[in-house]
Amino acid sequence: MANFSTKAALVMMAAFGFSQPLFAASCCGGGSSSALVMPKFATGMVDLSFSMESYDGYWNPQGEYTEDPVGSSLKQYRFNIGYAHRLGKRWQASIVTPYVWNDNQYSGVSSKTQGMGDTTINLWYEGFDNITCVWKIKKPEDWIPASYYGLSMTLPTGVSPYDNVENSFDITGRGFYRVDANLLLDKTIYPWNATLALSYGKYIERPVNREYGRYVAPYDKQLGDRFLGSLSGGYTQFLDNMDTLSYTLSYAYLQEGEGEINGITDTTTGMEKQTLSATAAYASMDRDWVFKMTVSHSPKRDGFGESFPVTNVVTLGVSHVLR
Amino acid sequence: MFFVKFMGLLVLLLLSACQDDLNPSDQDERPVVQTGITGNQVGQIAPDFTAGSTILASTYTLLSETQTHDAVVLYFTMWCPICDEHMSHLRATYVSNYPNVRFFLVDYVNGSIGAARSAQLASGYGDMTVLVDVDRTIESLYDGTMGITIVVDKNGIVQMNQGYSDGSKLGQILGELP
Repeated sequence: MANFSTKAALVMMAAFGFSQPLFAASCCGGGSSSALVMPKFATGMVDLSFSMESYDGYWNPQGEYTEDPVGSSLKQYRFNIGYAHRLGKRWQASIVTPYVWNDNQYSGVSSKTQGMGDTTINLWYEGFDNITCVWKIKKPEDWIPASYYGLSMTLPTGVSPYDNVENSFDITGRGFYRVDANLLLDKTIYPWNATLALSYGKYIERPVNREYGRYVAPYDKQLGDRFLGSLSGGYTQFLDNMDTLSYTLSYAYLQEGEGEINGITDTTTGMEKQTLSATAAYASMDRDWVFKMTVSHSPKRDGFGESFPVTNVVTLGVSHVLR
Repeated sequence: MFFVKFMGLLVLLLLSACQDDLNPSDQDERPVVQTGITGNQVGQIAPDFTAGSTILASTYTLLSETQTHDAVVLYFTMWCPICDEHMSHLRATYVSNYPNVRFFLVDYVNGSIGAARSAQLASGYGDMTVLVDVDRTIESLYDGTMGITIVVDKNGIVQMNQGYSDGSKLGQILGELP
């Protein structure tokens, strides 16, 4: 059976979905977009990445940083498989599936589990016909960014507390369908690049009749609405052979509201997290291959999150564009 | 062709996924519980145990506590954000309102009194009594895991064994105590 821990779940959460697992090309190719979006004239794109996430305490409900138990070592590894496919001149779709390994060590408990995480399907509409990346602003239209409008559906393909599991270490997903509306604005004026990504998601209410393997009196549960916003700035360095190296700094804010049980607000839910990340990307001259490394960091300080683990994530990824 | 192969692989992945969440059930599938025997199900005789705590190495025996209180509440914690939400709610909502109910946090991950005490203080729950499940006996007896909440009444009968969730079930059980 698939497995990983609840803290992990908070993140796959979360993981599940709180961190963008994949890194792809921008509309121009080879850029710094954090969503699985392929370049304008590509027909498809394969994206593989491997994330190593280490937990380092958490923020309590008051936003105060709290250390993990002494002697604990909590880690999660994710291998993400993504594929994007062009459906039309302005339409593209993509899918992302993670596979997760959990490695949790406490002074009294050791657990290593693995399993499939929650899957995300995306549909994107491109609000432009021509590449918007420019070298110099010559006319007002050159300021117009590439805009993407998207819908995402998260499928609960992971293992949740509501499956036939024994304990919280078995969890690999949240157990809920979620629909997100996404907006991505990307502007490149070489060598500089900026990206704004906004996402608002709503979980679909579901019945629950089992918790950690034990059947309970059925009830309806809904998680709170989710908002994710990120702002990125990058610089692209052109090498002698016209390959590129891009460097990007990002700030992301994630917030999930309080959920409901049988229509009544569950005040023990809701969370918040702020993350800083740095990405270095190497792209081939034709932008068909992009290799990326991202380091994400959450400050171990009060006020940078609520009811969420503090984690550091290193992600290595490769994207291949199909023409 | 690549697209077809990829989609085929994807379908296989989805089929291998856990179907319980893809198509959740609203049916009440709780099994009929045999009462009058020792077990961790609601209505059964609570399995007894003795465990040390983080306060002056005191030890507590479950049935002794039930005999001197209206009920005993056990909350399984791994000192995580969700646990913190639950414990905060438990303390603020129920602990002071039910002075004759014994509330225990059960640390089933740290394995030693020193580590459990350290986690308890770091998390800000120094005012609560923490049982240290050194050999994971309590976890095994009650199938405990993060967030699981057990209520045993003064007669030693299990009245609740499920996740804390929003705390309303615990409130209902405590409110119905004689």
